[in-house]
Amino acid sequence: MWRLGGKELSSRFFIGTARYASPDIMRQAIEASGAEVVTVSLRRYGSGKWDSNAFLNLLKEMKLHILPNTAGCYSVKDACTVARMAREVFGTDWIKLEVIGDDYNLQPDPFGTVEAAKILIKEGFEVFPYMTDDLVFAERLLDAGCKVLMPWAAPIGSGRGLANPHALKTFRSRFKDIPCIIDAGLGKPSHAAAAMEMGFDGVLLNTAVSLARDSVAMARAFAMAIEAGHKGYQAGLMPEREFATPSTPVVGTPFWHQEKK
Amino acid sequence: MTKGNTCGIAGAGIMGRLTGYLLAKKGWRVTLFDDGDLAATGSTSYAAAGMIAPYCELEYAEPVVARLGNPSLAMWQKLLPQIGGDVYCQAAGSLVISHPQDRAELMRLVRKMDEHTGDLVMQRVEGAGLRELEPDLDDAFMDGLYLPLEGQIDSRRLLVVLGEWLQKYATLNLGVHVRSVDDGRIDTAIGGFDFDMALDMRGLKGKTQLPALRGVRGELVWVHAPEVRLNRPVRMMHPRYPIYVVPRPGGQFILGATAIDDEDLSPISVRGTLELLSAAYAMHSGFSEGRVIETITQCRPAFPNNLPRIRHGGRLIRVNGLYRHGYLFSPKMAELVISLMEGGKPDAAFAELYEGHS
Repeated sequence: MWRLGGKELSSRFFIGTARYASPDIMRQAIEASGAEVVTVSLRRYGSGKWDSNAFLNLLKEMKLHILPNTAGCYSVKDACTVARMAREVFGTDWIKLEVIGDDYNLQPDPFGTVEAAKILIKEGFEVFPYMTDDLVFAERLLDAGCKVLMPWAAPIGSGRGLANPHALKTFRSRFKDIPCIIDAGLGKPSHAAAAMEMGFDGVLLNTAVSLARDSVAMARAFAMAIEAGHKGYQAGLMPEREFATPSTPVVGTPFWHQEKK
Repeated sequence: MTKGNTCGIAGAGIMGRLTGYLLAKKGWRVTLFDDGDLAATGSTSYAAAGMIAPYCELEYAEPVVARLGNPSLAMWQKLLPQIGGDVYCQAAGSLVISHPQDRAELMRLVRKMDEHTGDLVMQRVEGAGLRELEPDLDDAFMDGLYLPLEGQIDSRRLLVVLGEWLQKYATLNLGVHVRSVDDGRIDTAIGGFDFDMALDMRGLKGKTQLPALRGVRGELVWVHAPEVRLNRPVRMMHPRYPIYVVPRPGGQFILGATAIDDEDLSPISVRGTLELLSAAYAMHSGFSEGRVIETITQCRPAFPNNLPRIRHGGRLIRVNGLYRHGYLFSPKMAELVISLMEGGKPDAAFAELYEGHS
């Protein structure tokens, strides 16, 4: 078990709820993922009749921690409004804050994100900020009172994996006491494993599972990769070397086997 | 059951009307009830764009959708001349295109189509090949997929023609609210009626008796743009929403459709309008001088797996959940229902669609 935002979790997989072939397949994929936290966008369900919305009710019935997000918000005001609405609808202070700066690759707006984070934290929200791997951006979010950081691996939905591993490693080591979750850009289970091997605390993803040919099997595959990566990190990865070194000591090996061929 | 038996149908959308037509042709005495009008204004069938695109739909659907929709175009081509009324039907295929930067989305669809084993015919078209099919398409579009076995029908005209036919050769009770449909019985605002077989084809209006149904909002825009020439329905890939432009005779185009998991019939949103219109404009700048002649919002009836369902027991069959595929599925669905009514067994090829069959 580990703690995040005041809640006890056993899984390190956070899963999105968009773009599945059907609500049934979404439910099966979430179950297969073992995720305890699902993220959901209120923006997509715009009429305001939240209580009677079959899709949202399905999520509520699944007894998961809901991490509402402000996807599709381009301004501080918009993001704050959606966050407040989400608090009412889901009865949670958790909010995945997304203030988008660029329409095409859905890159976050660092200035707007920091400003919105300040406002929401004052209002008692637990803010999970969607961000790039920029260290200064992260510092400002921590100054604003964020207790979790969610750097992207690559643009949302791109499936490119860890676009800048060096930056993510630096990010991880700079903020080693802050829970850091990789949010967006992963395409393959191996990407998730690599992120976890770097010591990230969790992985959030959506498209790689929802658009897979078999979303349920892919959810399971990611769950295994996330666990493997995390276990590998905990177990202590061996340092890389420039040259081969024999894993069996040569002392005691007959000399004719040591002879150069 | 044999000819001359009575059948009551609750719901006169495309599913109810087509099934009623086919049953009457087979000698059943058919009575339909619906609270709508002859044109089915305000129904999901009325809102639809009438695309017959079983393979494009693979983008967000399970393979059974393509199998169920596969015979559709040929079935309509056979049926429409029999129904009469000169219903427009186009079998010139459909085209799927993407901006170069959205190529990954197109490749994903190609992969899904490659995995599909059936009668799917797909041609990759690039540059000159694409221009040959659609000469007026914006230059930004460099490649696409041509699906020659897809098409479209004039869905609104078809509803009226079927309605008029049913008025002549069956009983079509319009403006009559249906309260409930049970074993061999339809209870309506003008009284209860008993039949040898009752069919519940009410779509979302049947939700009280099928609580798992949900409405999925869709928005469409009709545009009159005589400057624009497109020879067939064109679908545009986009990382967040698929959009199609369906050309109709007389310079009219249907732009559709959003899919929002919300049972909301309020007018089209600004966002929906912008998304649809900007996609059309990107496809062909001639849309800029087009005129928006109608906007439509409607909710499609869907079950949690987004697949249709046939629930059969005694003298009652409920058919629902055709979701965004009313015109695509109804010919085959009607065939499956009529086969059950004639004592046939559920079709094993579509086992996942049947429920409660004994």
